[in-house]
Amino acid sequence: MTNQGADFYHWFGVDEALCTRVMGVAMGRGADYADLYFEHSMGSSVMSEDSVISRASSYVDRGVGIRVVVGDQTGYAFSEDLDEIAMCEAARTAASIAVAGGGAPVQGFRSCAGADLYPLREHWDEVRVDRKLPLLRRTEELARSLDPAVEKVTVSWANADSRVLILTSEGKLVTDRRPMARLVCSVVANRGGERQSNSANVAGRRGMDWFDEERISAMARDAVERTMVLYEARRPPAGQMPVVLAAGASGILLHEAVGHGMEADFNRKGTSIYSSMMGEKVAPDSVTIVDSALHPFERGALNIDDEGNPTQRTVLVEDGVMRSYLHDRISAEHYGVEATGSGRRESFRHVPMPRMRCTYMESGPHSRDEIIAAVDHGIVAETFTNGQVQIGAGDFTFYIKNGWLIENGRITAPIKDVNIIGNGPEAIRNISMVGDDMKLDTGGWTCGKEGQRVPVSQGMPTVLVSHLTVGGEDA
Amino acid sequence: MLDRLMQQARDAVQVASSGGADEAVATVAWGRSLEFKWRDGKVEKVQEDTSRGLSLALYVDGRFSVHSTNDLEVSRLADFVADAIALTRALEPDEHRRITPAELYEGRAELDLELVDQSLAELGRDERLEWCQEMEAQARSHGDVVSVTTGVGDSFGMSAACSSNGFEGLRKSTSIAYGSEVTLAEGENRRPEAWRWVGANHIQPLPAPVEVGKEALRRALARLGATRGASQRTAMVVDREIGSALIGRMLGAMRAGAIQQGRSFLAGRLGERIASPRFSLRDEPHLPRLGGSRLFDSEGIASQPRTVVEEGILSSFFVDTYYGSKLGMEPTSGSASNLVLSPGEHDREALLAEVGEGIYVCSWLGGNANATTGDFSFGVRGHLIRNGKLDAPVEEMNVSGNFLDLFSRLQLVGNDPVPWSSFRVPTLVFEDVQFSGS
Repeated sequence: MTNQGADFYHWFGVDEALCTRVMGVAMGRGADYADLYFEHSMGSSVMSEDSVISRASSYVDRGVGIRVVVGDQTGYAFSEDLDEIAMCEAARTAASIAVAGGGAPVQGFRSCAGADLYPLREHWDEVRVDRKLPLLRRTEELARSLDPAVEKVTVSWANADSRVLILTSEGKLVTDRRPMARLVCSVVANRGGERQSNSANVAGRRGMDWFDEERISAMARDAVERTMVLYEARRPPAGQMPVVLAAGASGILLHEAVGHGMEADFNRKGTSIYSSMMGEKVAPDSVTIVDSALHPFERGALNIDDEGNPTQRTVLVEDGVMRSYLHDRISAEHYGVEATGSGRRESFRHVPMPRMRCTYMESGPHSRDEIIAAVDHGIVAETFTNGQVQIGAGDFTFYIKNGWLIENGRITAPIKDVNIIGNGPEAIRNISMVGDDMKLDTGGWTCGKEGQRVPVSQGMPTVLVSHLTVGGEDA
Repeated sequence: MLDRLMQQARDAVQVASSGGADEAVATVAWGRSLEFKWRDGKVEKVQEDTSRGLSLALYVDGRFSVHSTNDLEVSRLADFVADAIALTRALEPDEHRRITPAELYEGRAELDLELVDQSLAELGRDERLEWCQEMEAQARSHGDVVSVTTGVGDSFGMSAACSSNGFEGLRKSTSIAYGSEVTLAEGENRRPEAWRWVGANHIQPLPAPVEVGKEALRRALARLGATRGASQRTAMVVDREIGSALIGRMLGAMRAGAIQQGRSFLAGRLGERIASPRFSLRDEPHLPRLGGSRLFDSEGIASQPRTVVEEGILSSFFVDTYYGSKLGMEPTSGSASNLVLSPGEHDREALLAEVGEGIYVCSWLGGNANATTGDFSFGVRGHLIRNGKLDAPVEEMNVSGNFLDLFSRLQLVGNDPVPWSSFRVPTLVFEDVQFSGS
C-alpha cells in the first residue's frame, strides 16, 4: 500500500516531509491527538426537463481539514490552499485548543489498508457527459410509455468522485477513493386537469455499467406507478394504529428511532434516551439491528471511516438486547472501547462525529402475508421522503409518500402523504412480528446531523409495529 | 479585497468568452468564520476557517451549464473553464436558456443596507467564551439539567459577481449567532431537550446571552411531563418562530419553476383567493440590517419591494428568467428576500385568550407536504390551550390537511414577529385543524 500513499501525496501536491511538519505544528502545543484530512472531490450533474437535456453542472472542491484533540475538546481549521504556509497557519489555529505546550515529535506515517468495497472498472472522471445523455433520454421514453397521463418527466443524474488521504499523529496513513452516483426520475401526471407527482431513484457507490436497461426501466416503472396510484389514494384515519413497515426503505424507522440515539456522542453527553439502556432488553427476541459499512457498493459502504479507522459490522441490538453504540475516536476513548469505524464527516470543512452507515434489521421468521393477515385495521408504509428524531425525548417521525390501508387482514386501498410519529424505545418494544424478507433499499438516502450531510443506506424486512400515531384526516 | 474578487470574476468571464462561451456570469466569494462550542465548563470545540470559491454560468451555442471550484489557481482555472465549455457543448440547445436581459439589471436602489456589523471584528475570544459561560450558568441553575451546550459563531462574507452583458454587483455581510441547548433528566430514561438560538447581521437587536440562556432552560422545563394529546379537530396557534415553515411551503408553490413543471397547488391562481383576508404578505428587499436584504437577486435582477398576497388574494409569483420565458411571464425574481406578513393588533396572550381552547404548536418534528396538491402532514410539539392560557405540554402528535384549506382558516394574526428575522411571521391562529394523537 506504500505506492497508494505516494499516489495520494502526489495528487494533493504534498509529501511526507511536508505533512510531518504540518503535523508537528498541530501537535506543537501538547495535544493528545491530531489528524490531517486531505480531500479532493469532483462531480457533475446533468438533467433533462421538458424532453430537453439543457442543464448540467460540475464542481471541484479540495482542501485539508486539521483537527487537534485534547480529551474531548476539539480544535479545528481547514485550508483550501495546500501550501506549507497556509496549512501551518490552519494547524496553529486548530492547536489553540491545547494549552500545555511541547508535544512529542511526529516520526512519519505508515500505510494502513482498508477494505475494497467499491472497486469500479471505470471511474467517473473517465465518463464523458455524452455517454450519459442516451440514458437520460431512455429513462424519459420509458416513463412516458407507461401511461398516457404522464405529462412531465424530469430525469437527473449526479455523480461524484472523491479522494481522501488521512494522516494521524499516531503515524497512520490511510487513503480511499469514493465514487457515488444517483439517477432520479420525477413524474407529473395530469388526468382531466388533476395533477399528481412522485419520483423514484437509484443510487450507490456505483459506476456507469450499473445503470443498465433493467435497472432504469424498473426505476421508471416505480416512478410512474407511485404517481398513478395517488389518484386512488386517500388519507388514512387519524390516530394510533398498527403499522406494517414494508421491506426495504422502511429502515428509515430504525435510522430515526434507534440509530441516532445509539450514536455515542449523544450518550457520552447523556442526552440520548438510550444513555442508560446498554445491555438491557429493549425489544423482542426476534429483533436484531445492525449498522454496517461492509455492504459493497451501497451508499453507506465505507472502506475506512473519516478518522482513518477500519470499518466494521456493528450490532446495535442483538436478539432484543442493546449491544453497542456507534463510536468515533473521542467516544471510544471516553468509554474505553474500540472505535466502531463510525467517525464520519461531510467534507474537509467538518469535524468527524459518530454517524450511521447501512442501518437495517435482520430477517425474522414470518412471511409478509402472515404479517398483513395479523392486522385488523392499520396501514402498510411503503415509500418515504424524510424522517427526523428528538434524541432525548426519543420522539421520531417519518413521512409516508405511498402506502396501503389494511382492513380485516387484507390490503384494500392506497394511502398517501401522511406523517407517522412515535417514540423510539416504545416503537422497538412494540415490534410484534419480523418478516423473512430483509432488503437494503437502493434509494439515495442522505442523513443530516448538526449541519453535516453524509450518504447512508437503510434496510428492513417486513415488520409489524403494534401501534404508532398516524397523521390521518378524520379522528 | 472586494476589488480583487471583482477582478477575479471579470477574469473568469474573460477566460470563458475567449474560450467560446457566448455569454458568462461569474461570482467569486470569500468568507471567514469563527465558532466556539462550550459544554460542561470548558471549550468543546473551536473552529476557524476562511474559504473562497468561484461559480461560473455558461451559455454556449444555446446551451447552458453552471460550474464551481475552490481552486482559483490561474493556471488550473483555464483548464477548468475549457472542460466546462466542452461539457456545455455536449448538451442540447434550449431556446429558453438565455442570459438575464440587461434591462432587468437596471433600476437598482441606491441604499446602504447596513449588512455589516463592524463591532463584530472587536468581539474577542474572551468575550465570546464569557457569553458561553453566561448562557450555561442560566441552565445550570436547575438541578435536573443533564447537559448544556452553548455556542457563539460569527462570519463575514463578501462576493463579487459580473456578467458578459454588463452586470456587476458586490455584497458584504456579517452574521452572528449564539445560543444554548439544554437537556433535562425526567424519570428513568427520558431526556427532554430544548434550545434557544438567536442570529442576525448585527448584534444590536439580539437579546443578551443571559436572556437567551434563561429562555433555553424555560423551554426545556416546559417539556417536562409532556404526553400524547388526543386526536381532535381544534384551533391551532403557531408560535412566531416557526410559522415561516408553513409560509415557506406556500412560497415554494409560487415559484415559476414549480408552476411550469406542474408541481404547484397555486398554479393558475394569480388574482384568486388563496387564503383568508387576514393573510397579506410582502417581499421587502430593502429593509436595513436584515439577512434577506439585497439590491439585486442571484440573477442580477434589481430587487423591488412587491406585494405577494394582499388580503388573501394572490398577487404575484416568483419568476426567474428561464421559467419566465417558458411560461411567457415577465421575470420578477426567482426567490424571496425578506418576507413580511402584515401583523395584527394583539399580542400572543390576547390571541390565546380569544382562542380559549386549542393546541399551541411551538416546534415541528419532521413531516412534509405535497407541492402538487398542497396536502401536508407534520409532527408537532407544543401545549394544550385551556381557558385562554397555555396548559400541559403535548408531544407525539401530527397535524394534517391541505394548505389551501388551512390558510382559508387563518383567523387571527399577532403583532409580534421576531424583529431581527428576515421572515417576519407573527403568531398565527388557524381554526378547526385536524390533529392526530392518542
